[in-house]
Amino acid sequence: MAVDTKKCVGCSDCVVACQTENNVPIGYCREWVVEVMAGTYPQLEIEIRSERCNHCKNSPCVRCCPTGASHYSDGGIVLVESKECIGCGACIASCPYDARYPHPDGYVDKCTFCIHRVKNGLDTACASVCPTKCIYFGDLDDPNSKVSMILKRRKYKTLIPEAGTNPQLYFII
Amino acid sequence: MKEELIVSGRMNHLVDPQLNIWHWQIPLYLFLGGLAAGILFFTALFFINGKENEYPAAVKKAPVIVPFLLILGLLALFIDLRHKLYFWQLYTNIKLQSPMSWGAWTLMVITPVSFIWAALYIREFFPNWDWKYTWIKLLEVFLIGYKKTIAWIMLIFSVILGIYTGILLSAFNARPLWNTSILGPLFLTSGLSAGAATIMLLSKSAVEKKRFAQIDLILIGIEVFLIIHMFMGFMASTQVQIDAAKLFLGGPYTMAFWIFVVALGLVIPALLEFLELRKFHIPVLISSLLILFGSIMLRFIIVYAGQVSRWLY
Repeated sequence: MAVDTKKCVGCSDCVVACQTENNVPIGYCREWVVEVMAGTYPQLEIEIRSERCNHCKNSPCVRCCPTGASHYSDGGIVLVESKECIGCGACIASCPYDARYPHPDGYVDKCTFCIHRVKNGLDTACASVCPTKCIYFGDLDDPNSKVSMILKRRKYKTLIPEAGTNPQLYFII
Repeated sequence: MKEELIVSGRMNHLVDPQLNIWHWQIPLYLFLGGLAAGILFFTALFFINGKENEYPAAVKKAPVIVPFLLILGLLALFIDLRHKLYFWQLYTNIKLQSPMSWGAWTLMVITPVSFIWAALYIREFFPNWDWKYTWIKLLEVFLIGYKKTIAWIMLIFSVILGIYTGILLSAFNARPLWNTSILGPLFLTSGLSAGAATIMLLSKSAVEKKRFAQIDLILIGIEVFLIIHMFMGFMASTQVQIDAAKLFLGGPYTMAFWIFVVALGLVIPALLEFLELRKFHIPVLISSLLILFGSIMLRFIIVYAGQVSRWLY
């Protein structure tokens, strides 16, 4: 997934769409929007990022999970199998992005890249609802996918790459 | 000037500025596990060396309390789980990359072994103990024949258990304070020191008390060295680890760490033990309890401070 920070206006539609689509319990979130304002008036610069689980290729949460509940599914999406999760919290402690939360039902929950939609050929809820179309979702292994194409053209960054997680959520800058 | 605005629900790292996932249960377990490991290590070591009668508290008395320590610790861990009824999933997988997984398996080995050892020495506490059923008596006779094997298993697994209590935390690179390999040896040493202190408490023999005071002095020396080493490592590392060290060097945990862990838990008991070995009469109760207190505080402070330390972006 890639998020165009130049196009994002920070409306938070993605946050609401995610909570509705995935029945996220009230008070929790699988994704959030960060606005970073830098500089002093009148030289101000703003960066808006729609953030969520980075679905890292070297996920500390998958490594630390004692039961294998946290796993890579086909295509690299990092998922939690709630029936295998014991709620120990190791994955929550291991995530440098703090993308996970303990669901009130006991297991640990996080962004699934809307795998139930993606399997049916749909975009994720956040990408499909975005009014400025700044969220690009697709297969990074496919050089012709939307997300691969935009990453070829534009400058981008990932969050805390120095944590060694190899994050797969790209921010176009 | 830099300002950040976040739109979301709660349970977000920028809304809740620090991790809030592990509470008293985890440090309590780390303490009890480390203490149990420390006691069993000395039990096994002195048994294997054939010093059973020279060091009765270490070999016969102290290990009898270990099953209780482990059960209490496991209970604390169980209370900490949020999806409690699925706990058995720990034992359907072996995941070598996850310290929690091999820690769970280590406990699976050492808990029954500690029960067996305690059962073999139950007559130290209840001289007229009778196992009632003949098959238990036969089993006892059988196990007594394998005491040396049991002791070797205890020796190896107690070291793994002691190190595991530290590695559990150091596996998380998301929390820079925990992410140091010193934590494994540090918690192991602290656990051994707590074990030696407990044996001193239970011992009635002057020779044994003296030997364990000597052992404990060496362990405290190693602990101080490891703590200094840990801070040197942090200060020479990346910004996030420098920030982690600053939690203890001027930050909110400075007083708690240097007073409770270093002064009360290490320096003062070391001085008392040193004076005792120099023939001053000091009750062993004071230094032992201070060591146990320092040991428990070390775990509480490291677990809580680690949740404050984080990557900034």
